[in-house]
Amino acid sequence: MKKQLLVAAVLAATAAVQAQAGALDDGNLSISGFGTLGVAQTNTDDAKFARYNQADGVGNSARLGLDTNLGLQATYKFNDWLSGTAQVLTRNATEGTFTTDLTWAFLKARINDEVSVRVGRVVVPTFLISDYQNVGYANNMMRPPIEMYSQAPIENSDGADINFQRAFGDLNFTAQAFVGVSRGKLFVSSGSGSTATYRAPAAGISLAGEYGPFLLRVAHARADMKINDIQPINALTTTLNGVGLTQLASDITFTTGKKIAFTSIGGTMDWNNIVAQAEYAQRRAKEPVYLPDTNAWYTMVGYRFGKVLPYYMHASAKGAGSSVTKPAALSRIPALNAAVTNLLTAAEQTSDTVGVRWDFAKQVALKVQVDRVKPGAKSGLLINLPAAGYNKNVTVVAAGVDFVF
Amino acid sequence: MKKIMSALLLSALGAATLPASAAEIVVIVSKQNPATRMFSEQASQFFLGKSSLFTPMDQADGSAIRNEFYHKVADKDAAQVKALWSKLVFTGKATPPKEYANSADVKKAVAADPKAIGYIDKSAVDDTVKVILTLP
Repeated sequence: MKKQLLVAAVLAATAAVQAQAGALDDGNLSISGFGTLGVAQTNTDDAKFARYNQADGVGNSARLGLDTNLGLQATYKFNDWLSGTAQVLTRNATEGTFTTDLTWAFLKARINDEVSVRVGRVVVPTFLISDYQNVGYANNMMRPPIEMYSQAPIENSDGADINFQRAFGDLNFTAQAFVGVSRGKLFVSSGSGSTATYRAPAAGISLAGEYGPFLLRVAHARADMKINDIQPINALTTTLNGVGLTQLASDITFTTGKKIAFTSIGGTMDWNNIVAQAEYAQRRAKEPVYLPDTNAWYTMVGYRFGKVLPYYMHASAKGAGSSVTKPAALSRIPALNAAVTNLLTAAEQTSDTVGVRWDFAKQVALKVQVDRVKPGAKSGLLINLPAAGYNKNVTVVAAGVDFVF
Repeated sequence: MKKIMSALLLSALGAATLPASAAEIVVIVSKQNPATRMFSEQASQFFLGKSSLFTPMDQADGSAIRNEFYHKVADKDAAQVKALWSKLVFTGKATPPKEYANSADVKKAVAADPKAIGYIDKSAVDDTVKVILTLP
């Protein structure tokens, strides 16, 4: 019943906004939106599959929450060089229910034909598709590969960014740099699950070159993550301080702010109906912190048969060590040693995905996707795990309709 | 869910594409614009949001001339162009070109703006605008 209400609400909202968009469009104000109505199901109830930062995973019964979302955006053009944009996004994220957040709200000033500056809440372009990962219609896959996109929690920051765009012959070069403070919630999946809040001054740069149907992009971002309320970690550091392992406790914690770096290289191709997208990224702690270093990559290839685009993707997330050095004294307390060792170990997972996108009508695409998820260390990126962990492969079947208006 | 799916299938069948007309399309700029000629790859940059040097003026969504233009300059169909623009729009990087109802309206808008670029049916050309590219 709740689901039906939600579907009705999404459809009604879409229709209402569409109807209004025409009435409100006086040439300066434009209202647009995007969304996905999707259902997904896995072959098990023993562990749940979720997108990154989703508290409510999907198991062996059809759920809307995994892929369904609705974004609404309004842009007002004050004049030739100044505009304002705000976007709200409704999705099932850290709260276990559908919630709406202000994804971004900024003033954009066009300095000249090549440079623009945005001030306010702007998107953080950590990875290749970070800035449009929630827009299903703009992507070929049903959802961003979580092996890659779970590495970075930051989606937007309050501050400013600068965009530069120049053509060198047939090569289009773009550069984007941002600086600001990011705030948000994190879903902590250990135990029965909890939510923590972070605050992170962050800065980064991305450079992209586009040559006809080929795009190559490199990016680097750093964030000084401060998180006070990760309950399982705080409980552990309290214990460590209690037994005199104070250095280890201060190494592990996020409460004092720890610098994390994200580096990625990726590209897309849409050439002679061959569609491909690939990316490799590293997450590295620049100060000791429990969060493990990771490497992730994925490759997607597809072929466009007119309106139908079948694709295959492989994605992988692997650990790349820890920034924390365990003191020798820790081995004298085996239970604590085991807990710390486990904490410093990265979750590893690979998945193979086949899917198809069908642009069956104007501004609407239908997608069907099957993921074969192979959890490795620490039960991969699955959530709601049994006490012994979960290492069997999980099949995720999803179907959805992406739309823009 | 099954009903939704079959409804989708039916609407998809209804939306089968119409063949494009075979009229010649010309790319135009204002008389004040210093440009004299352009390659189709260059023209496509403005209409695909890759350059803001010129301001693109588009034909009506779903019109035959629009579908043909994007097919000829970028080898993209309407859905691919829409997907590309949705990346730019929903990241706040750019706004899609303003749309005009027909070639006469595009011509009027281009004539009035030295930075504008548009495309119209060759038969609609007159001396208020300058042709910089002809798409066979």
